[in-house]
Amino acid sequence: MAYEEPITDYDHIVENCTCAFCGCNCDDLEFLVKDNHIVGVRHACRLGASKVMEDMDQRLMVPMIRGEDGELEEVDWDTALNKAAELIAGAVRPVFYGWSETSIETMKEGIALGEEVGAVLDNQATICHGPSLQAVQNAGYPVLTLGEAKNRADMIVYTGSNAMNSHPRHMARYSTFPRGYFRQRGRFDRTVVTMDPKYSDTAKMSDIWVGFEQNGDYEFYNAIRAVLKGKELKQDVISGIPKEDVYELVEAMKNTQFGVVFFGLGLTHTLSKQRNIDIAINMVQDLNKFTKWVLMPMRGHFNVNGFNIFMSYEMGFPFGVDFARGYPRYMMGETNTIDLLTRKECDVFMVIAADPGAHFPSGANKHLAEIPVIQIDIHWGPSTEIADVVLPGSFVGVEVGGTSYRMDGVPIFMKKAIDKPETCRDDEWIVRELKERVAKIKQAQVASK
Amino acid sequence: MTYVDKPAVPRVVKFDEPTATKRDKLDVMLNTGSDIYQGACKKRGSTLKDEYRKVSGVAYMDPKDMAKLGVNNWDSVLVTSDWGEVVVSAVHSRDAPHEGTIFIPKGPWANVVVSADTYCCCDPTYKGIMCTVERSDKEVLLMADLMRSVYKKYVDDDDDEGIEKLESLGEMPVYKKL
Repeated sequence: MAYEEPITDYDHIVENCTCAFCGCNCDDLEFLVKDNHIVGVRHACRLGASKVMEDMDQRLMVPMIRGEDGELEEVDWDTALNKAAELIAGAVRPVFYGWSETSIETMKEGIALGEEVGAVLDNQATICHGPSLQAVQNAGYPVLTLGEAKNRADMIVYTGSNAMNSHPRHMARYSTFPRGYFRQRGRFDRTVVTMDPKYSDTAKMSDIWVGFEQNGDYEFYNAIRAVLKGKELKQDVISGIPKEDVYELVEAMKNTQFGVVFFGLGLTHTLSKQRNIDIAINMVQDLNKFTKWVLMPMRGHFNVNGFNIFMSYEMGFPFGVDFARGYPRYMMGETNTIDLLTRKECDVFMVIAADPGAHFPSGANKHLAEIPVIQIDIHWGPSTEIADVVLPGSFVGVEVGGTSYRMDGVPIFMKKAIDKPETCRDDEWIVRELKERVAKIKQAQVASK
Repeated sequence: MTYVDKPAVPRVVKFDEPTATKRDKLDVMLNTGSDIYQGACKKRGSTLKDEYRKVSGVAYMDPKDMAKLGVNNWDSVLVTSDWGEVVVSAVHSRDAPHEGTIFIPKGPWANVVVSADTYCCCDPTYKGIMCTVERSDKEVLLMADLMRSVYKKYVDDDDDEGIEKLESLGEMPVYKKL
């Protein structure tokens, strides 16, 4: 990267903003504002800065409806909202997917709308840390806050996670580099271990890289558990790792004072899915017979944990909540977006603050091409190409305030820094408006009967 | 500033490398996942642009595998799995050596070939997918064209040739203004 001149041409600075990118929710950002636009961001990582200094070329500015010829046409807000409300009210099995890049306040309206029409409410956890949440229900959740990791941890394990690429400030702010109360020398007082088949950027800067083979995670953690229980390993090589290395690693893990396992999608996306995390949690439990160990999923979007926590508080289930029978139900593999789409069950799909076009497998997305799709988002993305009604929302944490939950479950209020574009609306306002319009249509249906 | 400025990776294997036996088709394992360049471009909202194709429509391959196939950086390759086939650019992996595996950053291109099977566990299998890689003459499609040709939402379903001949949707949003 070439040297870039510091930005000096700005009107004012907004301090202590919260980053609206990943689950780290770094809350020390400074936005440089000029003419109601953010021209620079201080302290953010590359991903956070790129999100805050968005590409205005492709910002969704106006509500649109797909016409007969297949082209999106600009319409006024009333027409777009009525069309969306009509689709939702007429649906038999609507799915409302997304919510992870918007505020808790919007989700509150979303639950009311979902209950009204008997929808399935699901969030991005279903395609990322859903298996982790199941494993937590199976095997427990040895929790910590990120502050504890910073102040106490002397061994950090990243497993199935490339933090340098997906949570770039995680190591710098919470785990590896910062000086903590009990770790006065920062990086020098900590050992970093990366367990990943890929020699990722995180592995490159770790002290130890355990490059077990693809789909070898389950076997490898079981081997660690066996050694922890004092068993002798019978094979010479476990998942591509020599057994001497396993003994050495276990010895190192036993001799720490406070160890943290951060795990990512490397564990949830392989074939053994939630069983991988079950066994990782059991490994942490076994390690606790010797010393203090804890575990945390590396959550992706800034509020993906918020939806899970909020849903659990309100409805008792973390995600994939089905209101079809009038009361909340939750059944793994039954009421989840991907399964509903691959079984071609869903008949109206609303996506809010998410991008199924970019992140769902094509096998699931093909059903979206057959049904009406309503999109509430801030950017033109792959989902816009398959959407029928597009409602431009606003950017939580920059253009509107809102509450979000960090990956360790700490709620943070994200403040507003600039005004939103005039033609856009708050996500919260859009969902509330949809709710009211749907309720009106439903009442009219009852009255006519 | 651009988001496609990647650390330069030298061409470490020449095509006449004695250990590289030239093949037309390679059996490889596909992994997908996030990548900082793909992430920055996606989160910025520039998904229609060429820069997104350059960071997301790529397969990071081991240089030895590329030598076996006889492809250079930014040559098109066809990746085929049980779930579909997609044309992406082959690029030297920064994490090599990892012969026999390729990495496509998550995005519309990777999604065409990953498995939608959740095995009743809500989560599709995005990693460890068996697929084949071969050389291709076709160009890597821009995001909007890719979505149109894969999902065929608003074009004639049966006529694959017809979709290929349609004019590209380009790098800017296409919609009718009031």
